[in-house]
Amino acid sequence: MSKRSLPRGPRDPASPPGLVEHYFRHEYGRLVAVLVRRVGLRHLEAVEDAVQGALTTALTAWVASGIPDNSGAWLYRVAHNSLLGVLRKDEGRQQILDSAAGPLLDDGEEPVSPVFAGEVRDELLRMLFVCCNETIPQESRLVLALKTLCGFSIGEIAFRLFTTEANVYKRLARARNRLRLGEVDLETPPVELFCSRLPSVHAVIYLLFNEGYLSTHTAHAIRAELCEEAIRLGTLLATHPASAAPTTFALLALMHLHAARLASRRDATGGLLLLEEQDRTLWDGEHLHQGAAWLARSAHGDTFTRFHAEAGIAAEHCFAPSFADTRWNAIAELYAMLERIDPSPLHTLNRAVALAEGQGPEVGLASLDGVVPPAWLDGHYLWDAVLADLHRRVGNAAAAERHREHALAAAPSTAVRQLLERRLTKTAP
Amino acid sequence: MSKRRYLVLFRNRPTGGQPGASPEQMQQMFAAYNVWKEQFKDAILDMGDKLRSEGRVVTASGVADGPFVEAKEVVGGYMIVSAENYDGAVEVVRACPAVHAPGVSLEIREMTGAKM
Repeated sequence: MSKRSLPRGPRDPASPPGLVEHYFRHEYGRLVAVLVRRVGLRHLEAVEDAVQGALTTALTAWVASGIPDNSGAWLYRVAHNSLLGVLRKDEGRQQILDSAAGPLLDDGEEPVSPVFAGEVRDELLRMLFVCCNETIPQESRLVLALKTLCGFSIGEIAFRLFTTEANVYKRLARARNRLRLGEVDLETPPVELFCSRLPSVHAVIYLLFNEGYLSTHTAHAIRAELCEEAIRLGTLLATHPASAAPTTFALLALMHLHAARLASRRDATGGLLLLEEQDRTLWDGEHLHQGAAWLARSAHGDTFTRFHAEAGIAAEHCFAPSFADTRWNAIAELYAMLERIDPSPLHTLNRAVALAEGQGPEVGLASLDGVVPPAWLDGHYLWDAVLADLHRRVGNAAAAERHREHALAAAPSTAVRQLLERRLTKTAP
Repeated sequence: MSKRRYLVLFRNRPTGGQPGASPEQMQQMFAAYNVWKEQFKDAILDMGDKLRSEGRVVTASGVADGPFVEAKEVVGGYMIVSAENYDGAVEVVRACPAVHAPGVSLEIREMTGAKM
């Protein structure tokens, strides 16, 4: 019996029985998904309150008498009963309840907690697809997923997304209003729902990952957490028959290959490190292994998406023996493919960098000839930094200095400025 | 056994709709509670319980219903600790993670043991 209960922490057998990392947060997501399915999306807030209450009760009860054997079922029972009480009390909604939430109110018996991994996975996935309803603005989808599926509080979301609590609350309210109209999502068969909405789900997971990966938080744990959540949701997606598609595998490969290098992107003081400065022995072997495996699986079929191209580029970096021995021409080619799938001047810029490494700075610079950066990129530090570097390497000192000054002035953070100063003042190789 | 017994009352002041702890914070509190419980396992005689907010007040003139939302503070829980004296009891209670929860104060009252 106790084998089924996850929470005994594997970390330190000597310490009193604990909980696996993020147990409460992940249970929050599981319970919300399961209960929403039972009572309907319009009761999402009541469900979240009940789950929050159950966790609070658990905190006291488990401190007093230890973690019960089947802690998941324990939490489910408490949340379910309290939700039942609240919905019953709410007489104003009695009629709606009678018609729509009959099954919940009718079963007077002990509620059965879904314990089979597959069932829980299905409910979590369904909730993820519900969150990714196209009628919800994308930034609201992200916040909704972080709140309901990942169990972050509004304050925690605001902190991680560098925004205000009021803003997070506003996004969440917008999403919840939409959800009330989207009740039909709960009844749609998974396969149909999954097929039509998969691109939106991919986009939200990728956004979530990048919020962590590109974040300028100095605390590694804060950044890694969002990346881990994105990988967790991506893995759920990749292991369900209805969403296990080459694109999903490519996205998951991409996230693993980036995550492998997350810890090595900064030095001990939190300063950013260039790829060539990173200690490759710090790259996470498990993530590299997973990334390679999912990348191999993504190669089936005839789809080639932006995720395939980006995962391919990440793999070239990850599996190159050193910076110098990187297959830069293959990377340049992948950036060219990426540009065709998803045109962006950033890809053009990255291709120029790869060409400069593979074929010389003249070739890199020439590939940018006649490229007019859009307003948002013109004046962005990346554009000037690359031009400063390439001009310096071909010997155009004046142009190099001009772009260097622009890049430094436009640096968004001290960490980036320090990195630019280091990179752009080096003597020509 | 020269130790005295103390009743600890948890009093909660309404926090004005402020959100409670997040799941992640709860997990940290759970860990902190376990450390505290282990550290003072000899002093904590009874972990006590939490109290629901509804209740009844009985007086000679009758029975009144709770909840007592008008009250500035309500008793939200209790526990029993043993210590040589108030200093000892305060040491146990001050280390309790609940001290840091918003709006919470802990009142320590020595039990007379009169019934024994």
